[in-house]
Amino acid sequence: MTSSAPASRRPAAEPAGPPPVRPRRGDGPGRVSRRRRARTGWLFASPALLIISAVTVFPVLFSVLLSFAEVRLEYGGFSIRSLTGDHYAAVLSSPEWRQALLFTFGFTVVTVLLELVLGTAAALVLERLGAARGWVLAVLLLPWALINVVAAQLWGYLFNGTYGGLTWLFEQLLGHQPDILGQPASAMGAMVVVDVWKTTPFVAIVVLAGLMLIPGDVYEAAEIDGAGTWTTFWKVTLPQLRPIMAIAVLFRILQAFGIFDLPFVLTQGGPGTATESLAILGYKTLFQNLAIGRGAAVATTTAVIVISCCLLFLRVFKAQADEGGRA
Amino acid sequence: MSRRAPASGVRRYVNAVNLGGLAIVVLSALPLYWMIASSFKGPGEISAAPPSPVPKAATLGNYAEAFVRNGIGRYLLNSVLVASVSTVAVLGLSFFAGYALGRTPLRGRGGIMTALLMLSVFPPIALVVPLFLLERQVGLLNSYAGLIVPYVALNLPFAIWIMRNYLAGVPRELEEAATVDGAGPLRTVLTVIAPLARPGLFTAGIFTFTATWSEFLLALTFNSEDGHRTVPVGIALFTSQYTVPYGTLFAGAVAATLPIGILVMIFRRSIVSGMTSGAVKG
Repeated sequence: MTSSAPASRRPAAEPAGPPPVRPRRGDGPGRVSRRRRARTGWLFASPALLIISAVTVFPVLFSVLLSFAEVRLEYGGFSIRSLTGDHYAAVLSSPEWRQALLFTFGFTVVTVLLELVLGTAAALVLERLGAARGWVLAVLLLPWALINVVAAQLWGYLFNGTYGGLTWLFEQLLGHQPDILGQPASAMGAMVVVDVWKTTPFVAIVVLAGLMLIPGDVYEAAEIDGAGTWTTFWKVTLPQLRPIMAIAVLFRILQAFGIFDLPFVLTQGGPGTATESLAILGYKTLFQNLAIGRGAAVATTTAVIVISCCLLFLRVFKAQADEGGRA
Repeated sequence: MSRRAPASGVRRYVNAVNLGGLAIVVLSALPLYWMIASSFKGPGEISAAPPSPVPKAATLGNYAEAFVRNGIGRYLLNSVLVASVSTVAVLGLSFFAGYALGRTPLRGRGGIMTALLMLSVFPPIALVVPLFLLERQVGLLNSYAGLIVPYVALNLPFAIWIMRNYLAGVPRELEEAATVDGAGPLRTVLTVIAPLARPGLFTAGIFTFTATWSEFLLALTFNSEDGHRTVPVGIALFTSQYTVPYGTLFAGAVAATLPIGILVMIFRRSIVSGMTSGAVKG
């Protein structure tokens, strides 16, 4: 089985033909060694697969069970009272959940778009930089490697209402001190700025890796055809980058949708509930209100939405890639 | 302008690409510089109204405070322990799993790889509840193992993905030669494949280390007791007072950023090349 890659990563032009011919199992002298090699494979793979199943697959199923249950925390443990709790109806109809969904969704769309544009620009710059490239790359990667919580505290200081560096800068420009984190709109804007600062480097290195894979003769052909810089970018570079950009966007959608530490530290979800993400709502439901079943329902809805978004994105992307391949 | 015309002085360096590079450096580094500079400012200066770009009376007081009074050293030790044990375990497990999935005729490989991709996308909030209850039940809350086990499991899928793609590119003949010489599978893998896998291991290692070094949600909920707190939790809980002691906070933050900053500087090339190999054969 060689076609283990997600469908979207396949080159667009390649039609889904018959699978390549493989020697039949049990052919010739390789038979015994093949079986032995397969056994070695299972032996080597099973420790990793077992720990993954134990810590992710099993808990996910357990979480779905909890989302239908009335759970009571007791000293040192917990007990399931009944399986009749209807947490989903309560969660889906609550204004808090809708507000959190709206914020999380808007935050994801805005940050991912900005990061894609800025990350691509940064990758194009890095690719063309000469001797300084290694160092610029290292500096660019520093925000990405920074602990999220540290980034949130640092920007919290810069946005501070009385002595923050950015507040001072805005004061010089606007003539009055803005309360950046105290107003819903500007607090959301601040959240976007910090996330873009922190994660554009990730998109940039993924796109840079993609740029390095584009064969040089493609550009030579474009130059012979007399294509200018912009035309070359839109008609040659961008189409070649699409599969790898799709991967970057996919990872970013997932991360942005699950955002927790940034709002938790920077705004605590406020002012009011303006920057409360689904993960924050889930955390508050679980650990502040100790509503385990309802918290599990919030978490499950988040997981379902995030996975549906990804599948939808992959499907749309693949459809477009197929169309582009035919054109 | 002909191509060979020697551009003079400053002009030679002023073009869109170099300006872009400069913008990247300034935008990335300026907030970090601000953090480092602030970590040397005294209590009066850190909240002075027009902020000063350079500390006027640089002091190491914040660092003393962070380490002596706030016990950041303990959090750092906890983080070093949890992140390095997790990374070593992830590398060992993902190396063997990557080899198995990339180079042995194991049935159902495609299905396993797809399942791994789906698992690596699962939002952590969906795992917090069941894992919290399970760890509570078996008494793993506030222990190193209580964080290491989930960190290993959560970082394995991506690491396996990188390792598999990396190892799939190693020529088969090398391995066959060792087998002909009579080496068993384990010896072949350790002596022939492992040395070749080094760049892939670097990439998987740096991604795992940064992820576990920064992880916050599980660390906050599973290890809330002071003795087992990791750096992100320690730094987040600085805010629980009425005023944030930014000087001390940034001293701790600089100490927490140093190890990861050095790692990124050293392995910057592996990070991109690892992404490249992942993309070619993904």
